[in-house]
Amino acid sequence: MIRDPLIIFRRVGARGYFARDIGRAFRDPQTYGPETFRQMRNIGVDSLPLTVIVAAFIGAVTAFQTRYQLFGGVQLSVVGLISRQSIILELGPLLTGLVLTGRVGARITAEIGTMRVTEQIDALETLAYDPIAYLVVPRLIAALIMVPALTIIADAVGVGTAMLTAVTATDVTAAAFSEGLRLSFTPFQIVYSVIKAVLFGGAIAFFCTYEGYTADVGAEGVGRSTAQAVVVTSVAILVLDALTALLLAPYLQA
Amino acid sequence: MKKRDEVLVGLMLIVTIVVVVLGSLWLARGGLAKGYPLYAKFPWGAGLKQGQPVWLVGVTVGYVDEVELEQNGTLITTFRITDDYKVPVGSKATVVPNGIFGDMAVALTPERPNPVSHSPGDTVPVGPTTPGIAQITAKADSIARAVNSVTAALEQEMVAAGGLRDMRQAIAGTNRLIAEFSSIAAEQNRQLTATMTSLRRAASAVDPVKVDSTMTNIRTASANMAEMSADLKATSARLDLILAKVDSGNGSAAKLLNDPAVYNDVRGLLARMDSLIADVQKNPKRYINLTIF
Repeated sequence: MIRDPLIIFRRVGARGYFARDIGRAFRDPQTYGPETFRQMRNIGVDSLPLTVIVAAFIGAVTAFQTRYQLFGGVQLSVVGLISRQSIILELGPLLTGLVLTGRVGARITAEIGTMRVTEQIDALETLAYDPIAYLVVPRLIAALIMVPALTIIADAVGVGTAMLTAVTATDVTAAAFSEGLRLSFTPFQIVYSVIKAVLFGGAIAFFCTYEGYTADVGAEGVGRSTAQAVVVTSVAILVLDALTALLLAPYLQA
Repeated sequence: MKKRDEVLVGLMLIVTIVVVVLGSLWLARGGLAKGYPLYAKFPWGAGLKQGQPVWLVGVTVGYVDEVELEQNGTLITTFRITDDYKVPVGSKATVVPNGIFGDMAVALTPERPNPVSHSPGDTVPVGPTTPGIAQITAKADSIARAVNSVTAALEQEMVAAGGLRDMRQAIAGTNRLIAEFSSIAAEQNRQLTATMTSLRRAASAVDPVKVDSTMTNIRTASANMAEMSADLKATSARLDLILAKVDSGNGSAAKLLNDPAVYNDVRGLLARMDSLIADVQKNPKRYINLTIF
C-alpha cells in the first residue's frame, strides 16, 4: 500500500531540480574542470580491465552459442553477422553499462554519500564551492565521455574474441566469419552503439550522484543509497536500451 | 599524479578513436586497402545490399560497396574488388542466393578464360538472375495449387463420376481379352507346331536322287531349247534371204509376185475359165458326149 500517492511525482520532481542544478553548475568550469580528468581516469581507465574481460567472454560465448544454434545448411558466415549485430548493437553497450553501474556507479554513490554523511558537502558550501559543480559535473562529463569509449573498446574486443573463438573452437573459417561481419554493415551501427553508451553513461552519473547527494544520515543511509543507486541505474539503463531500440532500430537496416 | 591521469585518459581516448575508425573501415570495406571499383546495373528487386560478397567463379574477390537506386528501374551497384584479383573480360554478373535465409551474393562468371581483364571503373554485363528462395517458394506454391486442382478434378472424375468403377471394369475386360488372346496364341502355337512337323516330315520324304534326276532333265531340256532357238534363228535368216530375193524381182516366184503381166494373164485365164464353166453348165452335151454300148 502506497503511503504517499504523490511520492513518485515528488521523486521525479526532486531529480528534475537536481538536473536543473547540474545545468547551472556547468557555468562554473573552474570548479569542475580540474576534477574531471581524475574522474575520467577513475571511471574510464580504471574500468578498462573489467570491461575488456567481460566483453571478451561475452564475445566468445556469443560466437559459440550462435554457431551451435544454427541448423544444417545455414551458411557459417551467419555466425559473424549475428555476433557483430549482438555485440555492437546490444551486448557491448548494455553489459558495459551494467558492469559500470556496479563498479563506478556504486563507488560514486558511496563517495558522495559518505561526503554527505560526514558533512563535507556542507563544508564545501560553506567555502562557497558549488558542491554539484565539484562533485557531480566532473563525474557526469567523465561518464559521458568514458562510457562510450569503454563501449567502443568492448565492442572491438567482443567482436575480436568472437572471431577468435569461432575460428579456433568451431568449424567457422576466418573468411566466412569476416564475410558475415561485413554483411549489411553501416557506420550508423557504431553510432547507435555510441548513442546507447552516452545515454547509459549519463544515467550512471546522474542517478548515482543523486542517490549519493541525497543519502540519509549514517552508514546505513549510505549503504541504502548505494544499493538503490545500483538498482535504479540498472533499471534506467534497461529502459533506455528499450527506448533507443524502439526509436533508432528502424534506421539500422542497411 | 594529475599529469599521469591526463596521459592515461588521453591514451585511452586515442585508442578508442583509432578502434572506431579502423574498425568501421574494416567492417565497411575490408580494411585500409581500397581495391578497385567495378559496376553493374541490375534490375530492381535483385536483393542487393552493401557488404554482400562478390564471387569470381566461387572465390570471394570483393564485396558490394554501394547500391544506388535509379528511377529507370535499375540498381547501379558498385563492387569493390581486391587488387589481387582481375575479372576477365566477358564475365557476366549475376545475383545468386547465398544460403537459405534469402541473402544474396554477386557471382562473376567468365564465359571462358581470358587474359584481358576489366579495368577499374568498367561496367560488367549482367547475366540472368538466379531465382531466390522467394521465387522458388512462389513457384512451389503455384505447382502445389496446380497439383491440388488436378487432384480435385481427378477425385471428381474418378470417384464422384464413377471413373474408378469404369476403370476397374475396363481392366477386368482387358484381363479377359488377354486371357482370350493367350488361348488363341496357344492354339496357334499348337497348329504351327503341327505344320512344322508336317513340313519336316514332307522334307524328309523328298528323295534326293529323284531331285537330282529332275534337275538333270531340266538342264537337258534347257540345252535343247537353246539348240532349237539357234535353228529357228537360222531358219529365220534363210526366210529373210528368200524374201529379199522375192523383193528384188529375180526368179520365178519373184516374177510371179512382182510382174503385172502375169497378173493380167492369170485374170484373163480365170475369166475365160469362168465363161468356159458357164458354157459347160449351159451346154453340157457339147462337151460331154456319153455313149453306152
